[in-house]
Amino acid sequence: MRKLLLALMLALVFPAAAKAHFQMLYTPEIALSEGGEMVVKLVFTHPFEAGHTMDMGPVQEFYVLQQRGSEGEPKKTDLKPFLKEITWKSLTNSGKAYEAVLPKTVVRSMGDYVFVVVPSPYLEKEEDAYIQQITKLVVNVGGVPGNWSAPVGLPAEIVPFDKPYANWEGGVFRGRVLSEGKPVENAELEIEYLNHMPDMKANAFAEKAAATAPHDSMVTMGALANAQGEFAIGLAKAGWWGVCALGAGPQKEFQGKELSQDAVIWVKAVEMK
Amino acid sequence: MRSLFFCSALAAVLLTASLAMAHTPLCSCFDNGDGTVLCEGGFSDGSSASGVKMYVKSAAGATLLEGKMSDVSEFTFTKPQGDYVVQFDAGEGHLIEIKSKDIK
Repeated sequence: MRKLLLALMLALVFPAAAKAHFQMLYTPEIALSEGGEMVVKLVFTHPFEAGHTMDMGPVQEFYVLQQRGSEGEPKKTDLKPFLKEITWKSLTNSGKAYEAVLPKTVVRSMGDYVFVVVPSPYLEKEEDAYIQQITKLVVNVGGVPGNWSAPVGLPAEIVPFDKPYANWEGGVFRGRVLSEGKPVENAELEIEYLNHMPDMKANAFAEKAAATAPHDSMVTMGALANAQGEFAIGLAKAGWWGVCALGAGPQKEFQGKELSQDAVIWVKAVEMK
Repeated sequence: MRSLFFCSALAAVLLTASLAMAHTPLCSCFDNGDGTVLCEGGFSDGSSASGVKMYVKSAAGATLLEGKMSDVSEFTFTKPQGDYVVQFDAGEGHLIEIKSKDIK
């Protein structure tokens, strides 16, 4: 009996340790008909289970690159001045996070808006290693595309082949993993569905889950990119899908400890009705 | 020479076809808050709206102002008195009308 209990406890503890961290860069709508004020939340969490939310350190960089049409250069706007510390509630704890209330002058013109956050490395004490997830979120206003498929030039980056803001439920999202601009051969990917809707007012995840994973391997799904760093994932359900390329970046060490410099991108699928 | 003609003809056909089918014209205007209005144009494939004809008409349909989208696909005009309609005219099937009440 005692052995069974121990086995059960281990089974409960170990899979939890394997769940993926995801840097969220979240705003409810990314395919906008027109611009306006926008609220963005930066939360470092476990999205499928709305589990343990980590305390974010200072944000190194937070900006948006906007471009309307295929001509011209993207326009960069620094968004760090808009950051405000908040406390985000997961189902199991509260963690330090950030929000940015962007005035309507930032997201007003038609075109693509590639939001980028470079958080400071987070020390995962259990693993005695740092994690830094460089994250992109692509927003469109008015349907005129721009720089959605252009590499930003980040140390670790996922470059989309499909517009991250224009996907039907049941569709496919493709992309390429880059490390300093070069494809990452057989990049290791983690994919999670945002299973608990974020409540923008309460700064919390909804308790209700949209889906139940029949197995732990379905909570954080694992995949590998091909030899050119390319991948495709299915968008089985409407909502948000996070894709993370583990350790894609060149920096492998931070303050004497191992560093996993990851690239994250968020994709939204909508119901076809 | 013949092949050049053929190529140009083919290019023309392809270009026209893509213009007619693949592009959706898009236009959006906002009030600058200084008595002027800025309109931006474009197409759903990212191509430029530079040179597209722009009209500002009264509610009764009289043309108050006309111009063209600039090199960066923008058109700025001074807000007329009363209700008006902005027309983005990129040719047949490519006309967009925006009413003044929808310009914020």
